[in-house]
Amino acid sequence: MNAVLAAAGLTKRYGRRTALSDCTLAIPPGRVVGLVGPNGAGKTTLLQIAVGLQPQTAGTIQVLGNAPAADAAQLARVGFVAQDAPTYAHLSIADHLRFGAHLNPRWDARLADERIAALGLDPEQKAGKLSGGQRAQLALTLAIAKRPDLLVLDEPVASLDPLARRQFLQSLMAFIADQGASVILSSHLVSDLERVCDYLIVLVASQVQVAGEVDELMTTHVRISGGRGAAVPDGVEILEESHTERQTTLVVRTPTPIDDPKWTVEPLTMEDLVLAYMARPALETTR
Amino acid sequence: MTWLTWRQFRSQTWVMVVGLIAVGAVLLAAAKAVSDLYTASGAAACTSGCDPVIQNFLEQAGSGWTGLVYSGGIALLYVLPGLIGAFWGAPLVARELEAGTHRLAWNQSVTRTRWLLTKLGIVGAATVATMGLLSLAITWFSSRLDEGTTNMIKPELFGARDVVPIAYGLFAFAVGVTAGILIRRTVPAMAVTLAVYFGVAVAMPLWIRKHLLPLSHATPPLDVANIHGLMIGGPERQLTILGDVDVTGWLVSNQTITPTGALFTGPADPQYCGETVGPRTCMDWIATLNLRRDVTYQPVSHYWPLQWIESGILVAVAAVLIAFCLRWTRRLT
Repeated sequence: MNAVLAAAGLTKRYGRRTALSDCTLAIPPGRVVGLVGPNGAGKTTLLQIAVGLQPQTAGTIQVLGNAPAADAAQLARVGFVAQDAPTYAHLSIADHLRFGAHLNPRWDARLADERIAALGLDPEQKAGKLSGGQRAQLALTLAIAKRPDLLVLDEPVASLDPLARRQFLQSLMAFIADQGASVILSSHLVSDLERVCDYLIVLVASQVQVAGEVDELMTTHVRISGGRGAAVPDGVEILEESHTERQTTLVVRTPTPIDDPKWTVEPLTMEDLVLAYMARPALETTR
Repeated sequence: MTWLTWRQFRSQTWVMVVGLIAVGAVLLAAAKAVSDLYTASGAAACTSGCDPVIQNFLEQAGSGWTGLVYSGGIALLYVLPGLIGAFWGAPLVARELEAGTHRLAWNQSVTRTRWLLTKLGIVGAATVATMGLLSLAITWFSSRLDEGTTNMIKPELFGARDVVPIAYGLFAFAVGVTAGILIRRTVPAMAVTLAVYFGVAVAMPLWIRKHLLPLSHATPPLDVANIHGLMIGGPERQLTILGDVDVTGWLVSNQTITPTGALFTGPADPQYCGETVGPRTCMDWIATLNLRRDVTYQPVSHYWPLQWIESGILVAVAAVLIAFCLRWTRRLT
């Protein structure tokens, strides 16, 4: 499988603090990958390693079959929008587009100009005077117009208001439909990702809790409820449990569909699934 | 990459170009005034016994506004490398790290090494051009007032003439870039750059430069006419004789020795030297002792070798710093 991103035992330590621990992933191509986890879980670390902004402490990682940022050709194939979408405050939008054109061999000037026009931005405006949403859109334009095979976005909408958030995600969807590139975007909010991604990675406390196709995850993760004390079906892994006097409700991961008359099975929302994994390590440590 | 560097460095370039034009205009006007004075004072037409005429010219040219331009030129060549290091070197990478824009720049289709090399190349070339032009212009303007290399080897002029200022410019620039990369914040990096540059600019003439080439040694007879002062002190009535020695070069050490070669420390004979008798008799007494001066100095012939050696050292240090910056940048996040 020619994975877009293949990591094995990937680990990053800052001094004694572990930011990413033994991360093993194989993301198939053509997916829109959502990387979810609470703040400080290691999302930024993983993405920065993937784009070559920082080296790992241990383990291996290949992005599009090469080491991250190995050379100019590899850099050209990966687009990246860093957290808070940095831009040069004293340069105008037009300057940024010139910057992109000069620094990227595959630059699509028409696409860039059209996007800026479609957003209703004045090319002579300095980036420092843009709103957060406009700046994120400019950064996305720069990343898209270099025509990457993989687009990586680190918390692209975290600092945006709901309207800007929706506009940004619409832009992103248009790009995905248009170019068919792979995308990895991180967020600490599931609602941002729900509508766009078809592959999900949940990262909590520096560890990958679960990773896979959204469709598959939605069938293998369910909420079941049954009478208190009913025997838990074979082979399921309990992620979350709650009890009332008469009833037990479990969020479980199950390799096969549960067909047990003692339990009623309900599908989960993506948010339920992510929250179950986010709550789990805390549960384990308090046990 | 060239475009980006130029775009980011554009305003600094214009500031420097305007500054250079202004300095050039002042130098041209001052050079005209000095040249007129050279003719008017009779120094230009003088053929024999010219010392007093030249001295008169130097005194006139050295006072007033032409004198101010002369000292200003020296000061500028000492200060400018520090400013280049602080305003061109320190922000070069630190400003990107501070604003987070390195995360944007390093994900374009250009490797970090090329990104940094281009920046260093363009701003480094601007540094060489600026310091070179300025040093050339100021050395040219000052040539009549410097009285040739006899004075130019002396520490106060040496660092502000010919090639050494270019090397100081490159050195300060490299210090600035390194400080910016290590500290990651522009303003503290600027402060460190200024401190390091001025530290080296002071340490070099005080402690280092004299050791760069073997000193010449001479023991001329003590000339009573050149004595500037006498110091008598202590119960032993120790005598220290202060004064000039005519050597064509930069005087590094100067001691008084007896005819046998031992260090002369007195004692001062109370019959000739002391509070009750005038200095005149003391001088006459000293003249009878057949004392000599024992001096070491950097001779004028070392002017150009020293210029190249000092420049070489500074450029080599700059190169090491730049190599370090390139390595370190690969590790930055």
